[in-house]
Amino acid sequence: MKHLLSIRHLEKPQIQELLDMGAEFKRKVLAGESTTSPNPKVFGLLFFEGSTRTRVSFEQAAHYLGHKVTNFSGTGSSMSKGETLKDTILTLRYERLEAVVMRHSASGSAQLAAQFFGSPVINAGDGQHEHPTQALGDALTIIERKGKLDGLTVAIVGDVLHSRVARSNAWLLSKMGATVRFVGPKTLMPAHSGKLPGENFYDLAAGIEGADVIMCLRLQKERMTDGLLSSTSAYSRGYQINSRTIRAARKDCIVMHPGPMNRGIELDDVTADGVHSMIQQQVENCIFVRMAAMEWVFAEEKVAAKSGGKK
Amino acid sequence: MDIIEFEQIVEIGPEVNEEGAEEIYDCTGLWICPGLVDPHVHLREPGESQKETITTGTQSAAAGGFTTVCCMPNTSPPLDKPELIDYILDKAASPEAGGVFVAPVGALTVGLLNERLSDLAALKKAGIVAASDEGAPIQNAALMTRAMETCVQLDLPVMAHCEETNLSRGGSMNEGATSAMLGIRGVPRTAEEIMVMRNCLLSLHTGCHVHIMRVSTWGAVEMIRQAKYLGAPVTCEICPQYFTLTDEMVGEFDPNYKTTPPLRTQVDIDILQQALKDGTIDCICSDHSPHAGYEVHVPFEEAPFGMVGLETVVGLTLTHCTHAGILSPLETARKLSTAPAQILRLDAGSLQPGETPVAQVTIIDPDLEWTFDVSRTFSKGKNSPFHGWKMRGKAVTTICGGEIYRDPLFDDARYATFD
Repeated sequence: MKHLLSIRHLEKPQIQELLDMGAEFKRKVLAGESTTSPNPKVFGLLFFEGSTRTRVSFEQAAHYLGHKVTNFSGTGSSMSKGETLKDTILTLRYERLEAVVMRHSASGSAQLAAQFFGSPVINAGDGQHEHPTQALGDALTIIERKGKLDGLTVAIVGDVLHSRVARSNAWLLSKMGATVRFVGPKTLMPAHSGKLPGENFYDLAAGIEGADVIMCLRLQKERMTDGLLSSTSAYSRGYQINSRTIRAARKDCIVMHPGPMNRGIELDDVTADGVHSMIQQQVENCIFVRMAAMEWVFAEEKVAAKSGGKK
Repeated sequence: MDIIEFEQIVEIGPEVNEEGAEEIYDCTGLWICPGLVDPHVHLREPGESQKETITTGTQSAAAGGFTTVCCMPNTSPPLDKPELIDYILDKAASPEAGGVFVAPVGALTVGLLNERLSDLAALKKAGIVAASDEGAPIQNAALMTRAMETCVQLDLPVMAHCEETNLSRGGSMNEGATSAMLGIRGVPRTAEEIMVMRNCLLSLHTGCHVHIMRVSTWGAVEMIRQAKYLGAPVTCEICPQYFTLTDEMVGEFDPNYKTTPPLRTQVDIDILQQALKDGTIDCICSDHSPHAGYEVHVPFEEAPFGMVGLETVVGLTLTHCTHAGILSPLETARKLSTAPAQILRLDAGSLQPGETPVAQVTIIDPDLEWTFDVSRTFSKGKNSPFHGWKMRGKAVTTICGGEIYRDPLFDDARYATFD
């Protein structure tokens, strides 16, 4: 039994194992082979923060594996009646759920849940900290087009400061041998990035120069009300990936976006729907790596992990 | 040697007349200090007895070696009325309490809402020793100026919570590489330093004694150093967590390490320790901030700020300052007793006969090695990152009038009674 809380705490062989499992599930599903798990489980999907896409993706993964899911959302639950996260987790433990997939608005909440749940916890996004299954899906997508991760240059463009997707991807890609660049305006970049595995670039052209992969991040509307940006158009003038700006990257570069995308802000139509775009493949691949995660947490430990939080 | 008679110190010196003594403590190798004074604790009453009560907080103080504690006004309701001061003093004097003196600090503004000043004259009459914006830092410089002018007239120190809240809003740890990695919104050091600078300037120009609470950055130290050089009546304090812990120790989101101002870096620790040594930092306090367990066992960003501290101040100060060669034994006693007593004009911090209303003595064993176990503390709050820490040095007996605490580790053979 293990948890999948963050990429930061995984070793390279564990990441490889998850990616291999994901690729194998994809092959089987596309070939129409059975992917039913020999040990069907009951998964709780705990979405304290709304997310239709990720929940549907996990539900689909569970469906392919023959697991049962039970949904639990933040609103209308005991959480909105003042129950603490710890007590909710303890309740679900004694409701005999066998694993939980959790999304929560607080960084570190997945670690806290793992501390009290006693069975596998899969982090589906904790605050601005990590979103490990998104990074695994993105990596699978890159490998499909580029054949590898090692040696690639990946530019992560946009609101790096507030992005759990950026953090999980940066850890995964750097552990697998890619070079990571963070690209964005200074107000949306970590002021002290010394512990994150990437180099800061404030100029888009310089940041994506020679890049094999461009990952756009979603720009939240609240960054404008926070005063971090003057307007969405100011952002898109500086950092939009479009048919003109993309020329700084490699000719065969791929463009990704974790969604939901703001068309016309992070990307223009031509790029979002064009030959470079891998956005639809990302959505699909996330299902297969989530299947991998759901099996992996119950599989025996093959590689020693660094401690992922407290016992 | 001291002699305590009818709860008073009557004689002090290398040789005293022991004839007719009822009790004798053999203090060979121990320090006999004036009772320790903690200028900054949260006793949580009225209103938040799930975190602490005056009874448990004062018991914790006695066990930590303190004979006087100053309690902060950010209670519920805040300490903005004389009746609330009466309530605290009554509870502190009750027999079940810890037997230490409680010196309340009044709220600078009504309800700590930072709209209009409290009736500070009435509060002073009721017994406050200082006024503070603790927990609700005053942003408006004009309001702070009026507060300081009022306090100059009343001869009350202002204890200033220095935090520019536009900069700190939403943050829960030091803005740095660790917060960036953990995806936690950071509190920049400028949030503290700007307000330290402002309050120092207002002190300089109003003449008000401003006591800067819990300094955490090297920049804040430099502001205070400059203000003192310019002649501003400014003093300041530090808590042990700011000279022992860094933001990296938040580790995997441990809410026990969440404080305001946040834990900083090793560079800050080095300069703060130097500032303790050179006197820029006047005294050491606990900022004892107990919370109920259920309030702390939540995600880091949702957890309250602060940690308990009354029972670890002496151990941490001796281990990390005195035995580390930063403070001499006399300087240690000064930072923990005489200096805070002088800053708050208390009848405390002295062993001279007649200088304190009753005998206030703390006996410290500077070499006692012990391990802190938070589950065995008197405080209701168990939120401490120091659980399991090895320490050298402990307050072993606390006397405030009579003996109010004797540590189980204080050797019985050192203590004798006579019929």
